[in-house]
Amino acid sequence: MRHFSFLKFIYCFSIAFLIAFSKIALGGDAEAGKIRYAQNCGNCHGPAGMGLASYPKISGKEIPYIIERLKTYRSGKKIGSNSALMIMMAKTLTDEEIANLAEYLKDAKYEN
Amino acid sequence: MIKFCKVFPFITSVCMLFGIVFHANAAEHAGGMNVPSIKSDAVMTGLENPWDMAFLPDGTMFFTEKCKGLSVRTSSGSVNKLYGMKDTKGYNAAGKDLFCDGQAGMLGVVADRDFDKNRTLYVYSTSTKYHGSGCKTNFEKCDGNIVMRFKVSSDLKKVSDRTDIVKDIQYKPFESNQPFGGPGAHNGGRLRIGPGGYLWVAGGDRHRGVCPQDGKLLCGKVLRIDGDGNAHPDNNPPAGFDARIYTYGHRNVQGIDFRPSDGRAFTAEHGPWHNDEITGLVNGGNAGWDPAEKRGGRSACPDKYCGYEPNQMDGMDPAVRAAYTPMSDTRFDDLMPAAWNNNGFSQGTGSAAFLKGSNWGVYEGRLAVGIMGIAFGDTPAGSRIDLIGLSTDGLGINGIVRMPLGFTKRFRGLVMGPDNALYASTDEGEIYKISASTK
Repeated sequence: MRHFSFLKFIYCFSIAFLIAFSKIALGGDAEAGKIRYAQNCGNCHGPAGMGLASYPKISGKEIPYIIERLKTYRSGKKIGSNSALMIMMAKTLTDEEIANLAEYLKDAKYEN
Repeated sequence: MIKFCKVFPFITSVCMLFGIVFHANAAEHAGGMNVPSIKSDAVMTGLENPWDMAFLPDGTMFFTEKCKGLSVRTSSGSVNKLYGMKDTKGYNAAGKDLFCDGQAGMLGVVADRDFDKNRTLYVYSTSTKYHGSGCKTNFEKCDGNIVMRFKVSSDLKKVSDRTDIVKDIQYKPFESNQPFGGPGAHNGGRLRIGPGGYLWVAGGDRHRGVCPQDGKLLCGKVLRIDGDGNAHPDNNPPAGFDARIYTYGHRNVQGIDFRPSDGRAFTAEHGPWHNDEITGLVNGGNAGWDPAEKRGGRSACPDKYCGYEPNQMDGMDPAVRAAYTPMSDTRFDDLMPAAWNNNGFSQGTGSAAFLKGSNWGVYEGRLAVGIMGIAFGDTPAGSRIDLIGLSTDGLGINGIVRMPLGFTKRFRGLVMGPDNALYASTDEGEIYKISASTK
């Protein structure tokens, strides 16, 4: 009986854990990514990652691509001519924020 | 009690009198402050990096798109594609030598003062035509920016008679180890017609340390020339300098306009992670930018360019950076001090136009300045148009307010229209008409 209760507890705990962290585990939260994007990414890459001036378009990119890029910049490694800016910007991003940004940018569209 | 009865009416009367006076003053202020109502409408959308506009008196608007070319929006609203870059489609004609990369491409456009008689238009663009053998590395002259003169047909459907009146403004051909380090960096590009009908050309330092202070190179300079590309006879640069130079020592000027009250030129230019600047120009003056290595107490710098030093790859206090490589270096005797420095920040200040017309009320005569709002390090974001009142001597400001638009964009080009509205192009691809009215 006592053994059954323990299993029940583990089962319930696992379900609760998965529900609580499913957004991170399964990819990211696009809404949270949109909010984070607006804080300083949009000043260079433009609304919805459309790309502005000499800053590239980043909307429509596959999730693994954005995650890999941001993690590379976060590690301080250079890729391309605007690396100094991106390294500085990515330095403070958490894994969760990177996942959220990637989720948001995958389908982001600028309409005017 | 008797004393109070005598004093009370006196106090009451004084209070009432002051009350009337204060009320009258309030009423007077309400009717006399002349603050305009401001509204904005997108007149064009879906463009690709619209960079600059030029108007004719009937509202016809020429405009450039950085990687596409020159077009015109007629007064009836139809659009004709006049002159494209290499490999663009749909234009009546194209320049096979014209290209875009990074900040470079087809940029400034302005109509001749006598356009109604000569149908002449000037356009700034990047070109391969005059590279010669000078563009093999970033440390060569590399003439890659030109000013073209065109004739515009009377039906506004084509341009002809292209003549390159300036062929030797330098261009950065390769990526370097700098922030924003791609080809085409710091490419200037604004054109305006100033007092007397002369053409003004605003340039950038193209990430080459020696450019701004070198009198033989046109990078990092403001030129004043005639319609054939010849120097204005009254230009007064230092001995040995190219006679077309009006001012030197600039970093990257993308904004220039002339104060209506006295015709004086003011520039707006991007700072290097510190100090965007507005500067009142003086004929032959030095804006004070010198990013060359081994000067001003500095040692060697990456790619011989100290423009982002020290510590160019990371954020730091803008004031520390400014002390190392100042935007306005006070070691120059001929320094033109900046009137405004964006509180020591650099957010991307790229366009400027003086507000003309009584419809702008208390803001008439202020300089509208487009700020991109780039945020890095501890610099705050803030894309906006500021309205700046400049002091008569041009050495300071006497007021600054943010244009109440209700939205933010990266404002790339500002110019006054013939209807006394301010027109603004954005990197997002729109051209806005910003109108003001007073009661």
